[in-house]
Amino acid sequence: MSALICEVVYRGIFQKNLAARIVRGIVLSARKSERWGIAFGRYGDSPQRNGIPAKDFAIVADTKEELEQNMARYEPKHVDVTICVDDTLSKGVESWAWYGLQPINRLTVPNGTVLMTSLQPFDALLKDIHKKDAPYKLSLIRAKASFSGLWVYKEDHTEVRILGALAKIAPSFLTLDAVAEAIKEMEWGSELKVASARKAFDRLETRAVKITEGNPDVPYAFEMPKWWEMREGVTIPAIPIGKPKEGGQGYVPERNPYFKKFSTRTMRPVIDFDTCVKCNLCWIACPDSVFDVMPDGTFDANMEACCGCGVCEAVCPVEDCITMVNESAFDDNASQWEAWRKDKAGYKTWLGAKIGDKKTTVRSHGFRFRGQYDEEIKHDLDSGGVEITAGIPGENADRKTV
Amino acid sequence: MAETTFGNATQVLEPFRGIKKVTLEEYFTSGHRTCQGCESALVMKLMVKAAGPRTIVLGSTGCMYVANTTYYTTPWVVPWMHTQLGSSGSAALGTAAGLKALMRKGKMKAEPINVIAFCGDGGGADMGLGAISATLTHKEYNSLILLYDNESYANTDIQLSGMTPYGAHTTFSPPGKVHRLIHKRWKKNVAGLMAAGHPECRYVATVCASYAVEMMNKVRRALTIGGPTFIHSLDPCPKGWDYDPMLSHELGELAIETGIFPLYEVEDGVVKYYGKTKAIVEGRPRKPVRDYLLKQGRFAHFTEEDLSYFQEKVDQQWEQWEIPGVVPFRKLDAAQAALNVK
Amino acid sequence: MATVTTTKAASEDKELLISGSEAVAESLTLADIDVVTAYPIRPYDTVMQAIAKKIANGQLVAEYIVAEGEHSQFEIVKHASTVGARVFCGSSGVGWMYAMECLVVTPPLRVPMVCLVGNRALDDPGAFGVEHNDALVVRDLGWMLCWIDTSQEALDTTLIAYRVAEDRRIFLPLAISADGAFLTHSQAITMVPPKEKVDRFLPRYDRGDLLLHPDNPITVAPQANEDWVIEIRRQNDEAMKRAVGVIEEAYADFRRIFGRGPENPWFEEYMADDAEVILIGMGTISLPIKVAIREMRAKGKKVGLIRLRWFRPFPFERLVKALSGAKAIGVIDRDYSFGSPFHSGVVANEIRASLYNAAKRPPLLSFICGLGGREVTLEDVNKAVDMCEAAAKSGKSDAKTHWLGVRE
Repeated sequence: MSALICEVVYRGIFQKNLAARIVRGIVLSARKSERWGIAFGRYGDSPQRNGIPAKDFAIVADTKEELEQNMARYEPKHVDVTICVDDTLSKGVESWAWYGLQPINRLTVPNGTVLMTSLQPFDALLKDIHKKDAPYKLSLIRAKASFSGLWVYKEDHTEVRILGALAKIAPSFLTLDAVAEAIKEMEWGSELKVASARKAFDRLETRAVKITEGNPDVPYAFEMPKWWEMREGVTIPAIPIGKPKEGGQGYVPERNPYFKKFSTRTMRPVIDFDTCVKCNLCWIACPDSVFDVMPDGTFDANMEACCGCGVCEAVCPVEDCITMVNESAFDDNASQWEAWRKDKAGYKTWLGAKIGDKKTTVRSHGFRFRGQYDEEIKHDLDSGGVEITAGIPGENADRKTV
Repeated sequence: MAETTFGNATQVLEPFRGIKKVTLEEYFTSGHRTCQGCESALVMKLMVKAAGPRTIVLGSTGCMYVANTTYYTTPWVVPWMHTQLGSSGSAALGTAAGLKALMRKGKMKAEPINVIAFCGDGGGADMGLGAISATLTHKEYNSLILLYDNESYANTDIQLSGMTPYGAHTTFSPPGKVHRLIHKRWKKNVAGLMAAGHPECRYVATVCASYAVEMMNKVRRALTIGGPTFIHSLDPCPKGWDYDPMLSHELGELAIETGIFPLYEVEDGVVKYYGKTKAIVEGRPRKPVRDYLLKQGRFAHFTEEDLSYFQEKVDQQWEQWEIPGVVPFRKLDAAQAALNVK
Repeated sequence: MATVTTTKAASEDKELLISGSEAVAESLTLADIDVVTAYPIRPYDTVMQAIAKKIANGQLVAEYIVAEGEHSQFEIVKHASTVGARVFCGSSGVGWMYAMECLVVTPPLRVPMVCLVGNRALDDPGAFGVEHNDALVVRDLGWMLCWIDTSQEALDTTLIAYRVAEDRRIFLPLAISADGAFLTHSQAITMVPPKEKVDRFLPRYDRGDLLLHPDNPITVAPQANEDWVIEIRRQNDEAMKRAVGVIEEAYADFRRIFGRGPENPWFEEYMADDAEVILIGMGTISLPIKVAIREMRAKGKKVGLIRLRWFRPFPFERLVKALSGAKAIGVIDRDYSFGSPFHSGVVANEIRASLYNAAKRPPLLSFICGLGGREVTLEDVNKAVDMCEAAAKSGKSDAKTHWLGVRE
């Protein structure tokens, strides 16, 4: 390898600063071994939106010429390491209209590495990650996804743990010592962070993935029209008006077929149709018009459209009627209302299991009050376990099971 | 060409009598590339739900253009067209004038078509203020201009505008080691400005999507009353304000309960307060501004001094203004007022 | 006075003594425009004053809106056009510049707005006199551009402009440029045709599948990223190429219905057939040049003039043919293009580019003259011709750009 190309796939805005630290960290670490590098965000992702998947890139090369080969491009054609900082992104990424759903390992070279922060077992993740037509490696850092925002950052050491892991994955480009040195020079660096990086190096779990392993679904894709097929005047047809759900009752809006937005979710609402009081608040408060109106007056959150903001849970007046649950707990976008209608008792059991699991219902992201992130980190540290992301991460890992 | 009998009528859109009476049809559907919890997208949905299918929407540059309509796709069911950043006023006027010309000359079937032009706080309070003002003087053309205010130039990754609150963190006002606060301007009072400055504009209102039915009814009133009208909507923005998207609805309510954002309408010069704002005017205590400000990362750098200043300014709005929350003219002393009359 | 190849004027025409602005107003009345926006700036705004009178007196029924600035002025009619209204607008100099944001989007949006640009120097430095840079600034963007010279041409070209711009194969905005002085100060005998003829020539504006109306639900101009823009531009490229044929069709139809009009829409050739020296210019610069040419012809010099009407689309093929017999070409620009090749004027460089692949490439001299309303004198023209004659003899040009009439 005379060049190392890395991409960071992340949740827009929530992980924007994290991704920037990672790609800069890669370049500055490689600099310690006299290499040249560039770090950049994908231009088309800008302006970023909360949750919409985005990508940053770091390219380091032995020579300036090799580096130049990779510049002036929006996106590399292939990457050696795909760094994924939210494991719900393993279900695929839809960043822009007409791009379809792209597997997380789409750009990863054969025998390259997908490096992910996750608490899930390998097998669970490989149910979500699409099959690839070449073998590759899946490496995991045991941590929950690190979310912040534009203005307040969560110092949970995720960026240094990624850098430490990279030193294990691509040692000819990034030595652990170089990473340590670079971290110390960062504005956000510290000795404690260097220790985290070293721990991540040691604790990295890697497994080879065969071409037979993975989600067999074919992700949807679109073919872009030619210039003479496009209507003139920068004009396109509007979305048609929606229709009743059944027997003239209820309402199902037509939806934009070229941008679905469900890959923006890290959590999804699970609805108890039995306790719903049909107040209409979730339906009216949803910015994404996700709720199909059912003939019985309840509301079914359309999983092709839901982007997981959680406003519905916030406005619902009935306790446990709408509960946001981590997206990794689900395998498809099937209709909850249809499942409930088919088998009410079975659905109730399923619902109970989903919303009863404290691990999957803990809120994954967003600022709520000053000092929140420090509190969260302290809580994780004190309660022990694999969720620790600060202090000396992973120290208490042997005390907990996932 | 001779003029046909054309009445320049508006549609008669009755207010929704409660949430269960709200129409089911969506004229702005899913599939837009907005942030999780984007209240401005909710405003779009509610705006055209209230307006109905015989509507043309003009959208000036901003989040509700770039995030919503990413070419070669759209979430709009009603006809929608982009317009320039400072052109919401011109777009409303031009569209309404074009329709009127064609209808009154018999070149197009005469029917009342809603014309709605929207702008963000950047496109409305800054660049496009002049054009909106001009349009509000043209009482012969029916239109609604809706300003959706997420308190920044959000689409360009958060820069301050004339409607950004005092001290807020934006990429143009980062708290630094030497200057903690770069942005010290107080938020421009655009709704009050529009109401006070255009005597022939029959309807100006403020809304918040957290009070969805009220918002839609104000949109309906604006479209029914005739002539050019203006609505200012406050939209919590998870990206620019830095908060958990599921709090979008709650923050809207808090903005009103703290008295930071007033809910009112001015119809033919008569001011009417709504909801919690009405309660505040009638004497109900306001929640302290810190309850709202400290839930947002953009104010995480605020000191007690900053919070006090902010509280003081908000207090003034309610305690010292002649028409509380609406225009910053100080209360007249009753005796002095009597003297002036003589 | 423009030389037009006509038979006799149709008998139903009305004869009026009117200025260029008034002639345009006559045309707009005949075209039954629907929406017009006005904003004051000299010298174009006499046309808006003329239109106001027409409306006030009930001769024209249209929405007349006085905007609060040129940006709004142009945006208003842009939007009126998208709902199917026939629109008219105009400006001069920096006013036109203030509308620039609108000017750049009307070609990709395929809005067929017809505008009058009363060419005026950009100020500061604060002149009101004629320079062509204002209209020329949109030359790359997809606007059609033409220059007119007389009231008759103003009237006729306005009708042709609507016919061409609103042709569904084109749907591009069109700016008619007129030099200020002639617009406001020269009144000439102008034939105004009857409405019945105009209705035969000019169909209604039909926006078709691009109409913004609830019966045709569309989204216009969602935000395009790098995956789409070059395809959109390619569409504009194709439309401009089609404009060539549509313009010729329109002029042929005009001659047939109105019984007058030039056979060659693209440029006027004045004594150019056998000319050894051909001067090229746009606008009313043609008047002193024609006077000079007549004097020179009397002395036996074979000099001719090509007055360009259409600048976009640029008639490069026809021009090359028309210039092939010349021994020297002198291009007189009433504009500037600082830092361009040879520090030339805009038209000179366009002609140079047109000639690059031609078999016959006569020596070309570039002159800049008459900026900011400075008169182009006979002396200036004679100087230019002298230099061209020298080049014709030697077969070479010095490739320098000569500034005529400057105090130095």
